[in-house]
Amino acid sequence: MGDRDSKSEILQGTLDLMVLQTLDAMGPLHGYGIARRIEQISEDVLQLNQGTIYASLLRLQQRRWVLANWGTSDNNRKAKFYAITRNGRKQMAAQARNWERISAVMMRLLRLAPR
Amino acid sequence: MPAWLAILASRIRGLFTAGRQDQEFDLEMAVHLDMLTDDNIGRGLAPAEARRQAVLRFGGRVQIREQQHQNRSLPFVETTMQDIRYGMRALRRSPAYSLVAIATLAIGIGAGTAVFTVVGAVLMRPLPYQAPDQLVRIFETNPLRRWTRNIAAPANYADWRTRNKSFTGIAAYEQFSTNGSGAGDLFLTGFGEPQSLKALGVSGNLFEVLGAAPLLGRTFVEAEQWEGRARVAILSYGLWQSAFGGDPAIVGRTITLSGRGYDVVGVMPRAFFFPGRDVQLWTPFGYTPQLMASSRRPHWLGVVARRRPEVRFEQAREDMTNIAADLERQYPDTNTRMGVRLEPLHDSYASKPRAALLMLSGAVGLLFLIVCANIANLQLSRGVSRARELAIRRALGAGRRRVLRQLLTESLLLSVIGGALGFGLAALARVALTRYAASAIPLFAVVQTDRTVLFFALGLSMIAPVIFGIAPALSTSRSGQVTERSESASRETRWLRHLLVTGEVALSIVLVVGAVLLLRSLGRLQDVDPGFAKEHAITFTMSLPAARYPNDAVRYRTFLELERRLREQPGVQAVGATSTLALRGFTWTGDTTIEGRAATDYERDTRHISMTPGYVGAMGIRLLAGRLFDTGDTRDKPQVTIVNESLARLYFRGLANADIVGKRVAFGRPQDNSPWVTIVGVVADEKQDGLDRPAEPTEYSSIGQRLQNPLTFVVRTTIDPDAAFAGVRAQVAAVDRDLALTQPATLEAVVETSMDDARFRTTLLAVFAGIALLLAALGIYGVLAYFVSQRSRELGIRLALGARPRALFLMVVGQGLRPVAIGVAIGLAGAMGVTTLMQSLLFGVTPVDPAAYVVATGVLGAIAAAACALPALRATRVDPLVALRDE
Repeated sequence: MGDRDSKSEILQGTLDLMVLQTLDAMGPLHGYGIARRIEQISEDVLQLNQGTIYASLLRLQQRRWVLANWGTSDNNRKAKFYAITRNGRKQMAAQARNWERISAVMMRLLRLAPR
Repeated sequence: MPAWLAILASRIRGLFTAGRQDQEFDLEMAVHLDMLTDDNIGRGLAPAEARRQAVLRFGGRVQIREQQHQNRSLPFVETTMQDIRYGMRALRRSPAYSLVAIATLAIGIGAGTAVFTVVGAVLMRPLPYQAPDQLVRIFETNPLRRWTRNIAAPANYADWRTRNKSFTGIAAYEQFSTNGSGAGDLFLTGFGEPQSLKALGVSGNLFEVLGAAPLLGRTFVEAEQWEGRARVAILSYGLWQSAFGGDPAIVGRTITLSGRGYDVVGVMPRAFFFPGRDVQLWTPFGYTPQLMASSRRPHWLGVVARRRPEVRFEQAREDMTNIAADLERQYPDTNTRMGVRLEPLHDSYASKPRAALLMLSGAVGLLFLIVCANIANLQLSRGVSRARELAIRRALGAGRRRVLRQLLTESLLLSVIGGALGFGLAALARVALTRYAASAIPLFAVVQTDRTVLFFALGLSMIAPVIFGIAPALSTSRSGQVTERSESASRETRWLRHLLVTGEVALSIVLVVGAVLLLRSLGRLQDVDPGFAKEHAITFTMSLPAARYPNDAVRYRTFLELERRLREQPGVQAVGATSTLALRGFTWTGDTTIEGRAATDYERDTRHISMTPGYVGAMGIRLLAGRLFDTGDTRDKPQVTIVNESLARLYFRGLANADIVGKRVAFGRPQDNSPWVTIVGVVADEKQDGLDRPAEPTEYSSIGQRLQNPLTFVVRTTIDPDAAFAGVRAQVAAVDRDLALTQPATLEAVVETSMDDARFRTTLLAVFAGIALLLAALGIYGVLAYFVSQRSRELGIRLALGARPRALFLMVVGQGLRPVAIGVAIGLAGAMGVTTLMQSLLFGVTPVDPAAYVVATGVLGAIAAAACALPALRATRVDPLVALRDE
């Protein structure tokens, strides 16, 4: 139980940051748009069940980092659009810095390790 | 807003918007899938394949939907609310079951809460004094005089104060009667009708020792306790409100009490009382320093002390015991064998009602258990009929834990509804109690339905489902397998149900035996001959204020004048007056020397009563020998006395009453050289301290030779008491407009009031026992009715094969009575053990009174048989065809 949770927690956090970053870069988007954008950026390295994006969106909404409103999509469909809040941006910046620090450490570690 | 708070707020909102949000999310998922499908088609896939891949890509929709739902709200709360909704529905579906269960719980919780209302007020609520645990009452004891908790003599009190090392202060107050708090009457005049007030004489340091601050003004200072400085008064909050309208400028005013002016120096807060709530006014007792230093007999002071925090109770007791021993050595003349007894003040206040209240607490505890057993039983039989519903729910994926939780929530629901009703019942009971049985509540206690009582009721509502709900829930939730009515489960259930009935019966028997014992005691008490004729007589007390009636001669004339006027009233047959009315106990006591005995031989603790010549006749007390007093028995004549039968028996062993007339006694010890007094008559005993107590040796003197004030009048009249009192008041006013009579009552009421405590506890226990019997009958009936309905096929076959209905009837009754018989046996044994604890509450019966046990067994047996007969009768009427077709 605990093992699986800790893995998914890392994934959750990662996914949350990706969503925030996407919304920051692209402006308001619906769930499908966010999922597609993340897949494109990751060049299909990251294969996710698109449904899981909604768990992330709910978490972000509950923290008030993201707002949701119903709107109309490009091809005239009624869809729910998500937008990042000011608070969300602050949070995103903090998490991004954190990521950079960790990835820098990871890179150094990996380079040091004998091949 | 911190993130966690935002999440919590959002989740709480989610609780109420769950339905709408689920719908929204369904729509959102649908749009998502459509978009994904469109894109797939754009990539060249056939529409069906495009849709299929989109669904795959999205992931498990049901799972995601459920997960979103859970994350949106608080699952625990949601499940509980769901359980409550299910529970309500289930309860509505079987209204008969629900009503019986709720009513039973309401009675159980209501009875428990009602008893707690009194017990909490009397035994638990802290007294309204500073650090009340440090307060101690000090009594004098003397085995020679059979004193165990006697009031103290002033000089002994004074010596305790100066010699002790254990107390920060010792205070005293006058106890001149055993009525209420023992306070005397003072008459307030100048404020409308003269009003009689309960006033207590106290030492100057009383309020300081109690640590009680005044609401207005100040409390007494030490010096004010001495004669000549004592014309100051402190008012109770109640008196301040009722007599002076809460006048904020009352402090500093002078009020007239019994013809003397007193300066009001303070008003106490509303919560304060001492030593009972009947006291309206405190004044310093106003003794001379000489009396305080030397008077070691008689005894009239109640003593209360504050223990130093660092001194333990036992140390204080040892200290006081040593002081008493020193005093005994120093003053052998008065203090021989004079000891002390210390009691925590609260214990001392509650000493009288404690035994009855503990008994009632125990009884109501048993009743509560019976209630729980009964509901457990109901739930078990209901569980059988619900087996199908629960099996379906389990088949649909509800785990056992989930079903268990559901069942316990239902129990809690029942209990909370029952508890709310029970709380209401308890509140009603409190109102009834304070209205109809106020004298059964000790004077220091405020019995009220407050927050503590509410919490208690709530607590009972929480505990009850644990007791009655767990076993049935476990048993019912186990029958989850679709093989409903599995034989092993029902056998186990039946065993459990028999056990519950056995327990109910056993507990009921204990209650019934206890109730019968108390009822028999009360009956014996009512049969006691009080020694006087209680019918057609009224009584009241009359006090002549010293300021207007300064000497015995004028008081004597006034009392006789009043007696004469009352005798001339229409309907009046006889009038008399006494210093101590029967059943109101308190009198002066002293030693008695009998002429002709050895110089060291004397009798102790003779009661002294003064009476008018008409008293014995007005009361209807029998004259056994000699004569009554007449108006000729005055100061200038030889001193005479009339003695009661107990005195005659105990002091003149072996002499006939007629032979005692003419003997001489002296009121004092031989060395006191008191004057001789001639016995002129012997009268039958009148009960003094209670119908359950033997009369003490008592000597009556004529008020012409020994006047006392106040006197209590007895008027024997043929007219209605209200009309009689109107006449009495008119005559009193005719004698002196400023006189007020106190304690008006019929003589019958005096007798009845003396039994209030006994009646209160007896009524309550009888009611509890009655409810217990009813519940036990219900339990027995339920089990047996279920047995018959379950075995109807077997019974039908037996009937079809020629079994005689009579045999079947007996078989079923036998089946029903088996657990009853076991329960009765256990209960009787238990009652033997428990009722010995009631010893002090019984009168005229022993705790092992065989009749009580026989009656209890008979009553329970009869009720059990009736409860069995109905289902048994139904068993004999089973139609074989119907029973067989039913399967």
